[in-house]
Amino acid sequence: MLGRLRSLAHVVFHRRRFEQQMADEMRFHVETHAEDLAASGISYDEALRRARLAFGGTESLKEESRAARGLRLVDELGQDLRFAVRQMMHGPGLTVAVVASLALGIGANTAIFSLLDSVVFRALPLRAPDQLYFLGHSDVARATTSSNYPLFERYKASGAFSDVTAYLRQNLTVATTDGIEHVTGQFVSGNYHAVLGVPMAKGRGFISEVDRDVGSSMIAVISDGYWNRRYGRAADVLGKQIVVDGQTVSIVGVTAPGFDGLTPGMKIDITLPLSIRALGNREFFNNREDWVSLCLVGRLRPRETMAQAMAIVGPLFEQFWSASGTAAARGRESVTRHIAVLTPAGRGSEELRRQFAKPLWVLMAMVGLVLVIACTNVVNLLLARGAARANEVAMRMSIGASRSRLVRQFLTESVLIAVTGGALGIIVAVVSAKFIVALLATGRNPLVVDVHLATLVLVFTLVVSLATGIGCGLVPALRATQLELTSTLKTGGGHGSTRRRAIAGRTLIVAQIALCTLIVATAGLLMRTVRNLRTVDAGFDGGNVLLFNLEIPPALSSEARMAFYDELERQLRGLPGVTTLSYSLRSPIDGSMNVRKLEIPGSTADARGGVSEIIATPEYVETFGIRLLRGRYLANDDRMTTEPVAVINDALARQYFGDLNPIGRTLLIGENKERRTVVGVVKSTRESLRDAATPMVYSALGQMAVSDGGVSWHVTVAMRTTNNPAALASMARGAVSSLRRDASVSYVRTMTQQLDAALIRERIMASVSAGFGVLALLLAAVGLYGLMSYRIARRGREIGLRIALGATPAAMLRRVLGESVVLSAIGIVVGLGAAVVATRSVSSFLFGLSARDPGTLSGAATVLLVIGVASGYLPSRRAAAVDPMRALSTE
Amino acid sequence: MTKRADLLPGTLDMLILKAVSLRPLHGYGILLRIAQISNHAFDVPQGSLYPALYRLEHQRLITAEWGTSDNNRKAKYYQLTPVGRRRLKEETASWHQLAMAIGAALNTKPEEV
Repeated sequence: MLGRLRSLAHVVFHRRRFEQQMADEMRFHVETHAEDLAASGISYDEALRRARLAFGGTESLKEESRAARGLRLVDELGQDLRFAVRQMMHGPGLTVAVVASLALGIGANTAIFSLLDSVVFRALPLRAPDQLYFLGHSDVARATTSSNYPLFERYKASGAFSDVTAYLRQNLTVATTDGIEHVTGQFVSGNYHAVLGVPMAKGRGFISEVDRDVGSSMIAVISDGYWNRRYGRAADVLGKQIVVDGQTVSIVGVTAPGFDGLTPGMKIDITLPLSIRALGNREFFNNREDWVSLCLVGRLRPRETMAQAMAIVGPLFEQFWSASGTAAARGRESVTRHIAVLTPAGRGSEELRRQFAKPLWVLMAMVGLVLVIACTNVVNLLLARGAARANEVAMRMSIGASRSRLVRQFLTESVLIAVTGGALGIIVAVVSAKFIVALLATGRNPLVVDVHLATLVLVFTLVVSLATGIGCGLVPALRATQLELTSTLKTGGGHGSTRRRAIAGRTLIVAQIALCTLIVATAGLLMRTVRNLRTVDAGFDGGNVLLFNLEIPPALSSEARMAFYDELERQLRGLPGVTTLSYSLRSPIDGSMNVRKLEIPGSTADARGGVSEIIATPEYVETFGIRLLRGRYLANDDRMTTEPVAVINDALARQYFGDLNPIGRTLLIGENKERRTVVGVVKSTRESLRDAATPMVYSALGQMAVSDGGVSWHVTVAMRTTNNPAALASMARGAVSSLRRDASVSYVRTMTQQLDAALIRERIMASVSAGFGVLALLLAAVGLYGLMSYRIARRGREIGLRIALGATPAAMLRRVLGESVVLSAIGIVVGLGAAVVATRSVSSFLFGLSARDPGTLSGAATVLLVIGVASGYLPSRRAAAVDPMRALSTE
Repeated sequence: MTKRADLLPGTLDMLILKAVSLRPLHGYGILLRIAQISNHAFDVPQGSLYPALYRLEHQRLITAEWGTSDNNRKAKYYQLTPVGRRRLKEETASWHQLAMAIGAALNTKPEEV
């Protein structure tokens, strides 16, 4: 098959030579034959005449030879294409409408598919990515990739893999001349680049840096993106010094574009050896007590299966788990046993896929339906064109054109329309995918998704376009060529099949309206979900609050830190419009978790759920508008030297103290049973917008020491203002840098933006599906308008006759408008039925309403009915305005 | 000269493959060779050779190359490809089988039924 295509391609591209050679070959035959004949004594001219006679008709033989070489199809395709272009030029307005609707339909499909490709399908550009597996572990409910260095060494030595490597992701700061820069980074084992087979653009990856040789390898590898951002792709980047988290390292390599670490959506800027990670904490390599976020990746040997590796890894992990005194294992009664788990690493870690794979598939399904709606318009157009060409088709068939030849010609036209639409669709896709990617790149840790027109995406677009062209063209083509010749030629039009064509057209419109209802209803559910989540009472008031993250050098003493905070607070309060201000270690709905163990002397309530802790300064409650229910809130006097106190939320009070007064009771928090006395109760706030509030405790920032014994050197600053909080951003930055140049401000945002970031998945689904809804409505409106106009044009005589016989224009208007209303109504009912079944697949994304929410469904029905009436109105006005004299005198 | 028979459908391809299997030939040469090896038994319409040649070339059973003929002119010479050689072998075998079966069928006598 391939060989024949290649042979055909060769002939097509060397067409002139082919023709020339064929003529030469045949002439040689005839002349040689003539020479042979002349040898027997007759004249050469007579011999030539006989030879030509014996050879036969050269032109028809050439034609047969071309066909044998597969050329006829190509020639006819050329004719068909020229004819199709002429057809498209014939009604340019209609052609533009149809091509545009296909461009939007195919483009939207390509956009979502390109996102699916980059989030779900694409393998990382590593050597033999199929051989890579994450070495994680899991209890019954949840898998984790955490581990520690001793376990890594055990795995490495086990021989289960050809090799194992490790990386630890961490946000880093880089000291630049303009201040502190925040980057994403990772610490990796010395064999990281070699084991993964990371492609390098410049220099080298780590080769055999010894992890335990702390401080020996002060080097870094940077990503292509960082090379571009920071160094403008300077050629002399290798050897440059860079200060990362206070350590001076020199750059030895730049990774190739396309590789940004093993966490899709999270681009690693700087990679450092694990030995640097241990500079501040030499126990890192020996600590088998705790799980840290060290990810392990093993590479299978060629032909080794996952099961073979698992046979070694499984028992090894079990032994490690039982033998080690890990924090988890110590509380073994309460923690379920973990077993080793291998997960494929060739496409990177799961986070992004887990969050976005299903939403993208839902959107893919919706956008597929949008394309079906667009296709319906194409089918209707082609049916109408086919009807208009009935006479021509009948004529061609009567003079001997085969049906398959005619069908091929019709298909050429529809495929041409679809492929044109597909080509324009790629532009639509690029623009709309950018929009979604921009939505993703908001929030604390922006998700950076690389969407480009990969081969797979282009193949997808081509296949969809061809399938659309053939799918849309086939039925109209078969129908147009299925004529009773004599009746068509006699009556001068395809009246015989008018009725069937009308039914087909109306069925298509009903289907369109039904699909449209389904899409609009789904979009409505998703949009209302976002609104419900935005308006849910989360226990705090996020309006007019500005937040930013603040870091000061950890080298400062606890007193110096407090002094800085106090001075900064004084300055920030002086900014116009600032009413309250707080420092805290977390803020509402910031996506962080800090669940600690809780024990309450004298309480029998089940405390296994633990308690979430927020460490904050007193004005936190006022800044976020959290109501105090009883007792007092934290005070500035609560310092290291005074009695440790805590404020609890209502959920904790009710769960553990019921109707009793919690004030004055004692809480024991964390593994070390830190003692706090309850001094007040505040209203509960939600930890996530979807879930009901859980027990929470507020501790005083001034009383809480971090690991080095001092007050935290990194806090979130929150300010409530009387006017637009965003306007304060630059003044706040200025205040910080005027106090200390080495203090860094990052992630400046309003509380509204923080909530938006938390709702990123819901917002993407809502806004994209809303876009699809609008597109679907537009396409259906065009379809309905087109069909009604067409039908009125066809029925001009009938309408004229009716008016001549006494029907009033108003009655005609009602009649025609009534038809589009009835068609719409049938479509809406069918669509609502489909919605009730289909929206169940999105029910897990919904919040505050059910998949059958009557308000949303009836809203969708109303929108569709309005569209139906509106797009039927113009054609019916035209019907009412038919002049009976003119209508009856035509034809 | 014996009475000339019309070619059975499909047999021209077989004869062409056989003709060029002996040595590379140009179109006219193939015609002469078929006449020679079949003892002028068939009436091959001269021109119809070419669509058949182009079809076989398209199917990659034969390849063509330009060379110089006996009368010192440029001519297109056809020769068998490995695929063509295999096809010829198969066709020959199945033709013999068919011929034997039909022969046996036609030779059946009343008492054998």
